[in-house]
Amino acid sequence: MKTFDPILLKNMQQPGYTGSLAEYERAGGYQALKQVLAGVPPDDVIDLVKKSGLRGRGGAGFPTGVKWGFIPKDHPGPKYLCCNADESEPGTFKDRQLMERDPHQVLEGIAIACYAIGAQTAYIYIRGEFRLGAKILERAIAEAREAGHVGADVYGSGVTIQIYVHAGAGAYICGEETALLESLEGKRGKPRTKPPFPATHGLYQKPTVVNNVETLANVPHIVKRGSDWFASIGSPPKSTGTRIFCLSGHVCRPGNYELPVNATFRDLIYELGGGMRSDKPLKAFIPGGASAPFLTPDHVDVQLDFESVALAGSMSGSGGVTAMEEGTSMVWAALRLMEFFYHESCGKCTPCREGSAWIVQILQRIQNKQGRREDLGTLTDVCGNIGGRTVCAFGDAEIAPVLSTLKYWRHEYEALIEEAETLNAGRKAKDIPVLSVS
Amino acid sequence: MLRAKYQNVIDDLLSRYPVKQSALLPLLNLAQKEEGYVSQAAMKEIAGILDLTPPQVFETVTFYTMLSLKPIGKFHVQVCRSLMCALVGADNLLGWLQKHLGIGVGQTTQDKMFTLSAVECLGSCGTGPMFQINDDYYERLTEEKVGRILEDLRQTGDCAMKSGPFLL
Amino acid sequence: MTMPQTQKTLTVTIDGIRTQVPDGTLVIEAARRVGVMVPHFCYHPKLKPDANCRMCLVEIEKIPKLQTSCSTRVADGMVVRSSVPHVEAARKSVLELLLGNHPLDCPVCDQGGRCDLQDFSHEYTPTVSRFKELKRVFPKQYLGSVIETQMNRCVSCMRCVRYCDEVMDAKALAAVGRGTLTQITHWSGNELECDMCGGCIQICPVGAITSRLSMYDYRPWMLKRTETICSFCGDGCQITVQRKDDQLIEVNSALGAGRNNGDLCARGYFGYHAGAHPDRVQHPLIRQPDGSFAAVTWEDALEHVARKLLTLKSAYGSDAIAGLMTARCTNEDMYVFQKFMRLVVGTNQIDSSARYGYVNGVRALRRVQGTHRWTVRYEDVLQADGIMLIGTNVHETNPITALQVKQAVKRNGATLMTLESLLPVRSTVSNITTLSRHHLTVRNGRFDAAIVGLLKAVCELQLVNAEVAERAPEFVQTIQAKVAGVSWQTIHEQSGLLQRDVEAAARAYGQSRRAVTLVGQDVLRAVGGEAMVTNLLDVQILTGHLQREGSGLGCLAEENNEQGAIEMGVTAEYLPGPSPLDETGSTAAFAQAWGQALPTGASATLMHVLRRAKAGDVKALFIVGENPVASLPPDAAVTDALDALDFLVCQELFLTETAKRAHVVLPACSAMEKDGTFTNTEGHVQPVRQAVEPVGESRPDWEMFSALSVLMEHPIEYGDVKDVFKEIRRIIPGYGLLGPASTPQPVNADVVARYVDGGFKEDVDRRYTLNQPTPESQGGMTLKLLQSVYHSGKYSTRAKGLMEVQGEGLLQINASEATRLGVKEGDAVCLSNEHGRATVSVTLNDRVPDAVAWFPEHFDEPVRPLFSLTVDPQTHVPVWKTTHVTITNVNDRPAGEGEIHDVMSF
Ligand SMILES: Cc1cc2nc3c(=O)[nH]c(=O)nc-3n(C[C@H](O)[C@H](O)[C@H](O)COP(=O)(O)O)c2cc1C
Ligand code: SF4
Ligand code: FES
Repeated sequence: MKTFDPILLKNMQQPGYTGSLAEYERAGGYQALKQVLAGVPPDDVIDLVKKSGLRGRGGAGFPTGVKWGFIPKDHPGPKYLCCNADESEPGTFKDRQLMERDPHQVLEGIAIACYAIGAQTAYIYIRGEFRLGAKILERAIAEAREAGHVGADVYGSGVTIQIYVHAGAGAYICGEETALLESLEGKRGKPRTKPPFPATHGLYQKPTVVNNVETLANVPHIVKRGSDWFASIGSPPKSTGTRIFCLSGHVCRPGNYELPVNATFRDLIYELGGGMRSDKPLKAFIPGGASAPFLTPDHVDVQLDFESVALAGSMSGSGGVTAMEEGTSMVWAALRLMEFFYHESCGKCTPCREGSAWIVQILQRIQNKQGRREDLGTLTDVCGNIGGRTVCAFGDAEIAPVLSTLKYWRHEYEALIEEAETLNAGRKAKDIPVLSVS
Repeated sequence: MLRAKYQNVIDDLLSRYPVKQSALLPLLNLAQKEEGYVSQAAMKEIAGILDLTPPQVFETVTFYTMLSLKPIGKFHVQVCRSLMCALVGADNLLGWLQKHLGIGVGQTTQDKMFTLSAVECLGSCGTGPMFQINDDYYERLTEEKVGRILEDLRQTGDCAMKSGPFLL
Repeated sequence: MTMPQTQKTLTVTIDGIRTQVPDGTLVIEAARRVGVMVPHFCYHPKLKPDANCRMCLVEIEKIPKLQTSCSTRVADGMVVRSSVPHVEAARKSVLELLLGNHPLDCPVCDQGGRCDLQDFSHEYTPTVSRFKELKRVFPKQYLGSVIETQMNRCVSCMRCVRYCDEVMDAKALAAVGRGTLTQITHWSGNELECDMCGGCIQICPVGAITSRLSMYDYRPWMLKRTETICSFCGDGCQITVQRKDDQLIEVNSALGAGRNNGDLCARGYFGYHAGAHPDRVQHPLIRQPDGSFAAVTWEDALEHVARKLLTLKSAYGSDAIAGLMTARCTNEDMYVFQKFMRLVVGTNQIDSSARYGYVNGVRALRRVQGTHRWTVRYEDVLQADGIMLIGTNVHETNPITALQVKQAVKRNGATLMTLESLLPVRSTVSNITTLSRHHLTVRNGRFDAAIVGLLKAVCELQLVNAEVAERAPEFVQTIQAKVAGVSWQTIHEQSGLLQRDVEAAARAYGQSRRAVTLVGQDVLRAVGGEAMVTNLLDVQILTGHLQREGSGLGCLAEENNEQGAIEMGVTAEYLPGPSPLDETGSTAAFAQAWGQALPTGASATLMHVLRRAKAGDVKALFIVGENPVASLPPDAAVTDALDALDFLVCQELFLTETAKRAHVVLPACSAMEKDGTFTNTEGHVQPVRQAVEPVGESRPDWEMFSALSVLMEHPIEYGDVKDVFKEIRRIIPGYGLLGPASTPQPVNADVVARYVDGGFKEDVDRRYTLNQPTPESQGGMTLKLLQSVYHSGKYSTRAKGLMEVQGEGLLQINASEATRLGVKEGDAVCLSNEHGRATVSVTLNDRVPDAVAWFPEHFDEPVRPLFSLTVDPQTHVPVWKTTHVTITNVNDRPAGEGEIHDVMSF
């Protein structure tokens, strides 16, 4: 892999960089905001982002400029920008680093986005557990306000941009954009039925854009260096720029790595991550956070861009890559993730609410050697009845680990069930221990 | 009562949102910080501040796992048990903690110092196994580190091993 | 089907059937129209789509995934399939998932037999389940004394929570927890505090929320149902009374039916046992020489009454006899009563409980705009962009009217102005003031000052409509001059209101396009009530709202048929119609219609009647369902008046304080036991139908008058109650065009012209002069009797369900007063003033202003001695529900002992 000059992680990789306003400014920070406020019409900023090919880094990969373009121009009332810093997808931990280490980069992106869509107020919805991140952001906002980068009449341009940090309180689903809005409105974080979409009926039913932290952090760079520059990186025209991949699991050097998306999983896992941590070879990897179907070593040469991963039967999602070594039980891995999804289902939709509980119970039985022959059929069927039938994409996400492990490692399930059958042969039904969901 | 002590904070929070109810989670976080849990009195008071009914506050509280309706220990040790941490030893970590603290998951030590919980992903998957104690993350934990952290907290109420902003 | 021209129509094909629907129609509704019933749990026409149950999935051509028909709007040319195999498979799967955790306890479930989950399962699911895991189990809970929840049966559709929030605006229910562990409760283990409207029970599609009043008493298919009208308040809700044999099982209400469209309040939902109370009078009773009552036959009783009335009439003349009636009776009862009194007895001395204040409003309406009814209806309230509630805790007195107001604000964004004597505090349950943009807390009951303030603001802020100023310059100038003479300082001193608040409300009102004012008890039941309503109509005139389409003023009737009482001529000043008694024209018309000259004697209001009885001028009193002994304070000396009578007949359900003093008691039917009509506060005449057999030997009131008329040899006979109604319609042409959309009365332009061209001058000085405020005694508190949403008069205190909810009167004070007094919830306090003393227990309510205490009027017996009576000099309305007391702490004596009166003993 050829060496690559990072964009988002660049500042923080300078020795001693603390992310203070002075340092950020010294590194060229807030130039982009000054530039647009000096007279670039908002529509031109949107166009620029459209042309750059920037796609959302929160999971769905929606083209950011297009999303901004959906905001009604002539809307009389307030509009909002929400920066999605909920980062709760297991396997993902990049936004945390962006916020903790270079908060002004995020703030500048937010400010430019606000200007482009005509929002005077932005809320950074940060997951409640990120207390440190919230503190750092609060401090950075105070600094930026003091310096006149945000606030009323920024740089005398007449534009007002207020940024507030809003901390959640422990709910993965609040990363889903409409659940985030509900939560920000002080309610239970239950996703909304769409349409209407946030672009017209978002926060307080006003036009709203929700963007991921990393997505927004890219914006100042695009403004400064141009859309052509950004669009030339990665695998244009569809997947441009770099992404921060969060490498975890059984690798030597887990961590965040910023790469152009035309790099491959091999580059990430073996070159940057130093390969597997023990002598055991790679058995499986998750290419895009807990919601992405598992892939096998056969897929390590797949490129990291959205399309390639989709073609391989998974998704690039939030950029969380988890590698698992030989010897890891895939039934156990699927169960662990399923327990997560069971715990985090908001409970709104029948299939997701009831289905996740049912699947967890079946998986727990199989894992505890009480599986039954018909379980695999039931599992597939229940998953099939969740996918595509729910309000939000959580439903599609939660079945990914089960279906994909069943697809590639069905024999592991069967082996456990066979063990159960041997174990239980001759036992009366009432003697077979029952389990309850924790 | 919150209002008596934090009127300025509350005013500042309310000024951030065009709709009062939005200040609910921030106020609940404040109440929990103040008392260690969200008491009935706090829910009632917050309902009053935000023009909500107590049931509206209550249902919101129960949606969010970080908010507790019961008093818990002075230090809330929350171990990430999700797959990514589990791959690198979260279960061992839980075992060490149970051994060191002498309590099971979901329990509080007799001296009311520590409550142990197993929670889902805390967004620290590259630096597992890890736990959060109150506001702070502690990462790449080993049994030895766990012992020192608990000891520090017991002794001084603080521990220098918590993660700073300089991840990795 | 025909569509309004303005609305776009769309074509949609559902299961091969093409149809046209208006733009905005949901697919599920479009399907219903063509007879395709899409199964669903969470959808409900009253609620915003939530699309959570995923039961209503359908296939829509060109959309890859199945869509929820409950949240998808029809697009033009849409092709929908609801009965293709994969749609049915999806439904089966939802049912399988729901049943997985369901306890399958249908045999003991009150919903069994009318349960959506049962019905859909019957239709779609196989008999064997693949779910062999452990079910999650929630303990059964009681949500307070009348509601039970069985959360294991819950399908998490959230209809209850959404209803409680979106429709009732109570926000008393909470969905607690997450995922499969979500359950519906109140909050944090607290006993349910809410309006107990029963809406959550009604809207639950399964048996997860049920009524404890009828738990395990029935299977739904055993029930026989009757559609009738609730007899508790002026809103006149349509209710479905369900009985098993002759046992009342439950009351509910049907979506789309009646003025309430499926909504009820606690009284309607839980109050149905009132008439079934064991204390009902079962037989006619005649007082014996030893003072006791003896049960007699109907013949003996009626003959006795007829003979007695005839004797007294011939000895002392017709005007020695007078009649009083409750406004809870049907129109037919009232019509026959006044006819009996006028034609058989020969007196005009008739009055009803409309005298307690409702008549004030009607008099003002007739005078200024020539109507006796609202000029708007609920539909207009919903469409209004400005609503003013004045002197009414409408949410408690007229809960269904309140729902219209809430919907107007919540759905249509109307601006709400509330002028009340309460504070705009949200307690555990939400209340309407939380929706209010301009809440003005009026102190000391000085609504007169508040209204003059509004008028002053209208004049000073140039909110006077230009056309009006041009058309009626003298009227406008006179009022401008009058209000200029009242200073803001005076208004503030008397009502506690600030100029800027009054101005803001007046501005909002004046600038509305469609403005509705609803007037309640604090204005109507006050001295000067008629003048206050007249002044409110002046506001309407000045702002140009009086004759504007969709704008209008309505007076809120507290009892179910106060409007009917006035229209049937059971009020001193009115003949049926109402036609004024003193106008020779109308008297002559009635004489002709009835074929007999009307009595020429003067009419007499309730207070006159009592005075004349005490003076010995009235010898016999015929009281129908009214209980003046308990409805007036001791200094009204009602008992003296009654004791002075030669003869007192009471037609009653119970041996009330008044009936106990009667010479003859005739057992009357409750509204559940008879047919007839009620006229609701908006003026809708609605059919009352017999739901259960009369208790004991009780009979409908009108039948008794009719029987007496025969015995008194002056027969007023009818084949049945329908004939009475036919006669009413002959006398009052077009009366009660039954149906949901009867149009409101238009303002009579001639009457308005007469008023603004000079009529107003008659009393303009008096109306615009503010009396000196009553000096408050040092350290004293104002004690107010107030109506509660759980009760209606004293009648509802016989309803066991409502007594479970609120079974005693507690003194309500706010927390700071409690601190000042050193008392807490449940402590006893002593109330005293120059009239007497009483000991009651305290409960905290932050809506009560400082220096004020409230007591529910339904339980007023212990505190009644503290009140004294004032009679309105113009309209003779007896006013007495406010007094001044000193409250002291008697903490050392526990509540429930000692001096506390037994509030249940009547
Ligand atoms: C269940 C679920 C969880 C999600 N969690 C996150 C999250 O934690 N952070 C995030 O940025 N996006 C998350 N998303 C994606 C958001 O819904 C949304 O697409 C994203 O914030 C849009 O920003 P982007 O266009 O910049 O990616 C989640 C989506 C789903 C369905
Ligand atoms: S799919 Fe699951 S998480 Fe998403 S709204 Fe439905 S129940 Fe909630
Ligand atoms: S009725 Fe449509 S999802 Fe429930």
